[in-house]
Amino acid sequence: MSLRVLNPNAEVLNKSAALHMNINAAKGLQDVLKTNLGPKGTIKMLVGGAGDIKLTKDGNTLLKEMQIQNPTAIMIARTAVAQDDISGDGTTSTVLFIGELMKQSERYIDEGMHPRVLVDGFEIAKRATLQFLEKFKTPVVMGKEPDKEILKMVARTTLRTKLYEALADQLTDIVVDAVLCIRNSEEAIDLFMVEIMHMRHKFDVDTRLVEGLVLDHGSRHPDMKRRAENCYILTCNVSLEYEKSEINAGFFYSNAEQREAMVAAERRQVDERVQKIIELKNKVCSGNDNNFVVINQKGIDPPSLDLLARAGIIALRRAKRRNMERLVLACGGEAVNSVDDITPDCLGWAGLVYEHVLGEEKYTFVENVKNPYSCTILIKGPNDHTIAQIKDAVRDGLRAVKNTIEDEAVVLGAGAFEVAARQFLMNEVKKTVQGRAQLGVEAFANALLVVPKTLAENSGLDTQDVIISLTGEHDRGNIVGLNQHTGEPIDPQMEGIFDNYSVKRQIVNSGPVIASQLLLVDEVIRAGRNMRKPS
Amino acid sequence: MKEIVTVQVGGFANFVGSHFWNFQDELLGLAEDPYADSVFKKQQLDMDVLYRTGETQQGILTYTPRLISLGLQGSLGSMSSHGTLYNHEPATALDVTTWTAGVSTHTAERHKKNLFLQSLYEEQDRSATVDKSGPQREYQDKDIVENLEKGVKFWTDFSKVHYHPQSLYELSGLWMDAWEFDNYGIGRDALSNGLQGEEISERLRFFVEECDRVQGFQFMVDDSGGFSAVASELMENIADEYTNTPVLLYALRAPESYVNLGKRKQTILRSLHDAVSFSRLSSYCNLIVPVGLPSLSTSRASSFFCINDEKLYHCSAVYAAALHSVSLPFRMGSLAPTADLHYVSGGVDVSEVVQILLGQSRRNKVAILDMAMPAPSLTGKEAGERLLGHLHPVTPEIAEDVEDLQAVETMTVHGVLGPGGHEASASEVKDTIHAAYEHATMRPKFCHLSMAHSPLPIPLPFPSIFKNVVGQRGELLENPTAGPPLKGSLDVHSIPMAVRLRSSSAILPYLENRLGYLRRYGVDRGAPGAELVRSWGFGKDELEDFGEDLSKMVIELKPHREVSSDSD
Repeated sequence: MSLRVLNPNAEVLNKSAALHMNINAAKGLQDVLKTNLGPKGTIKMLVGGAGDIKLTKDGNTLLKEMQIQNPTAIMIARTAVAQDDISGDGTTSTVLFIGELMKQSERYIDEGMHPRVLVDGFEIAKRATLQFLEKFKTPVVMGKEPDKEILKMVARTTLRTKLYEALADQLTDIVVDAVLCIRNSEEAIDLFMVEIMHMRHKFDVDTRLVEGLVLDHGSRHPDMKRRAENCYILTCNVSLEYEKSEINAGFFYSNAEQREAMVAAERRQVDERVQKIIELKNKVCSGNDNNFVVINQKGIDPPSLDLLARAGIIALRRAKRRNMERLVLACGGEAVNSVDDITPDCLGWAGLVYEHVLGEEKYTFVENVKNPYSCTILIKGPNDHTIAQIKDAVRDGLRAVKNTIEDEAVVLGAGAFEVAARQFLMNEVKKTVQGRAQLGVEAFANALLVVPKTLAENSGLDTQDVIISLTGEHDRGNIVGLNQHTGEPIDPQMEGIFDNYSVKRQIVNSGPVIASQLLLVDEVIRAGRNMRKPS
Repeated sequence: MKEIVTVQVGGFANFVGSHFWNFQDELLGLAEDPYADSVFKKQQLDMDVLYRTGETQQGILTYTPRLISLGLQGSLGSMSSHGTLYNHEPATALDVTTWTAGVSTHTAERHKKNLFLQSLYEEQDRSATVDKSGPQREYQDKDIVENLEKGVKFWTDFSKVHYHPQSLYELSGLWMDAWEFDNYGIGRDALSNGLQGEEISERLRFFVEECDRVQGFQFMVDDSGGFSAVASELMENIADEYTNTPVLLYALRAPESYVNLGKRKQTILRSLHDAVSFSRLSSYCNLIVPVGLPSLSTSRASSFFCINDEKLYHCSAVYAAALHSVSLPFRMGSLAPTADLHYVSGGVDVSEVVQILLGQSRRNKVAILDMAMPAPSLTGKEAGERLLGHLHPVTPEIAEDVEDLQAVETMTVHGVLGPGGHEASASEVKDTIHAAYEHATMRPKFCHLSMAHSPLPIPLPFPSIFKNVVGQRGELLENPTAGPPLKGSLDVHSIPMAVRLRSSSAILPYLENRLGYLRRYGVDRGAPGAELVRSWGFGKDELEDFGEDLSKMVIELKPHREVSSDSD
């Protein structure tokens, strides 16, 4: 083969060996992630070579922390991580599903079946399953006021797979309230309008929702107030620092006086901008004890801070770009790019602004705002790895709520969908398929069971018993899922266990695509490896 | 203008950075050490330019580099990414509080601390217990130096600096070995997935927010692989967010990055990477200085060293010394006007250096770095000529002996010895160099000279690379005594230095090579690398734009401007 001629050092694996390499890699990755799944899975603590700790119950985070070498495994991992980027969850399930599809296929291939036939069966089964999902999903009507209970159920389902129950339940309320706060029925939900801030302080249960904004910096002048009530908020992106322009930084002046004059002129421009802000403050705050806060995306240098402090203004510099948007959504007013024509209409309002200091870290709370359309989830925890893990969970929770609102549907959880879809494929679809592609459908159907099986396994239950009792119930027409404590069938609807429709859809969609690619491999050529590896 | 924020991106950049901060740490230590040479007492250098003052949650004050360092996962060796100062709770908090079901722990093998790092921790413990006489160490500085010579694997292995917890960042989720992360295309995806890019920008903001008057960003970038894409993404963000703050960029190359595998495909990949990387990096910074020779060991810049090109630990030390010297004038500016001109003179800030080198009649943002390490003493006749003669380039692919009437340069000379073996004063240095240029056949149109009294201090973890003609204070001995064939930090305590940034048409080959690569392999009809660059996510139009920018840079520097409107 020509490639072999081109690079005689390349290692070539023949078809069968290549196929088994792929299958083994998929199984290997499945084994690593398997124990993660569900509310009874194990959390993983990763301790690095320097003693750094990472804590994760999330397939996505775990994959990113792993040093994956095998190209097949990398391909699966990329798919799974992409799954998370698209729908916010389901990384572990994707890996499990791909692994199981490969595992099921292995049996038939070992019996001499051509992978192509299996892949054809996958395709049929995939389409049928997606159609089935449309029928199976539970529609949710999202009017002006979404059903908060159903949102909570979805959020709780995902959070309880990441955090212990009490904390999960506490965060459930927080993430649902956060999404509802930023929701504006006309536009798509932008989760970035929920700020996620953390403090290494106290305990995880002190995590709370702040209606308003928490900034991770404070004012930089000793005379500015650390706490103020009834505040006008000026959100701006205006440079309040003296910057060297090209002209006075170069050597375009002929003597020192000329240079001094240029510097003075530039300084004066900055001062004038500060003066404009002070004038506005005097206008709106005279005759009352209201306060005035400037939050600027650009810098504010010490002379400007001085002027502002003397005028009784609290000023923060270098605010995050996103906070410009968030501040306006939380406090009202508008973000201004120039102070030339600022009016009182530009100003937002907050009932309370105060600073909290932890060592060198400063936090500014902007609270008691009217009609907020942006808010902050303030995560607290005793150490960095705990905070990071809660943060991951909060992100997943937010995504779950957002998905539900956008999908206008949910899917019964606890393995109910997978069992139902499997029974549908076996009882209805398989017999409509001609020839050996039936076996592909069968492999696909059985692979779907990996979710309830793994849930059972992680709970220490007998997987055979569980699957038999679940499929039995489904054949009798009862849609049931798995009770992880007892192993008995339960009604997910009654228990409030719901998954995201879009997540399930994505898993069913992407799993077979990757599995098919891996099955249809011809040869694997390993070239360029180990050649420049540092000794 | 005051603070500089330093950003180190990529493997070799972190090696250079590690030495760079070791020099700073040594300067800080010597300034407080009652037994140190008096020249380090009155440095008149404002270290706050590079360092920040902080406070832990326990109220302990800290002084750490204002730095962001990016590396691959696992590149920190035995150092925790949180640094060492802010670790309030040791390993006791191992219990998981967020999960009640099973926990499985996966512990990577602990990286062993080498002798040097052990000694640092012991020192710390000893000073804590006040028992100075305490148990004697069973090893000596000599052993530490030898140990480092033999086994430096990570840049943290020879670092004596405490870093801030926000400083060290490892890119995760790349799923590849360091050697696979070798081109611009791969690096482009590194930040796009997930929240890593945002996290890095947040950390940068943390350091900038506390600055009163940022003077500039100093980037050290290993531009031999994927990290140049990471850096340019970061710089694009900076250009956007901190618009008027100048960015000074060192594009650093280790000799190993020039190793040619002789395969055509590999050559095309490397060449295209070089072209695209340079084009992107140069477009987002105000001044770019390529640093790194294909063979440092045989270059004239290392006449007084014996270097092993394969050791990053060696090469990075030399380049770090040069970068240290270049950064000195940035720290003289904010001193009170009463500062003694005897000790320092010629302070400029980053934007001034950028302006000087950009030039006026033409615009050239690529500068050449020359260095003399050690710089010769200013004794005897023609001392200035000798000093200039010792300056050798560490920028690759440049022309030699080019006459360029438009050339401009900034030079920093520090710690050089005058007649009688004492440090030469600012005015002596100035007069000598001006006199030398007076008589030179080729002289720049403009030369800004900065001068400092204090030489480069050689810290313990500096490699043993000096030939034995180098004396204790970096003087060149006429009759080298029989001693060790190679000297290191135990024998050489300080080194006088001279460095020069030069904007000259001598850089033309460097630019033309890159323009040629881009056209030959990427843009021309049937170019063999066209598919490759497309897989990096660049369209044909973009490549043509890059080519145009490069040819503009070339045209600016061509001696006869009228010749070129070029082929397109």
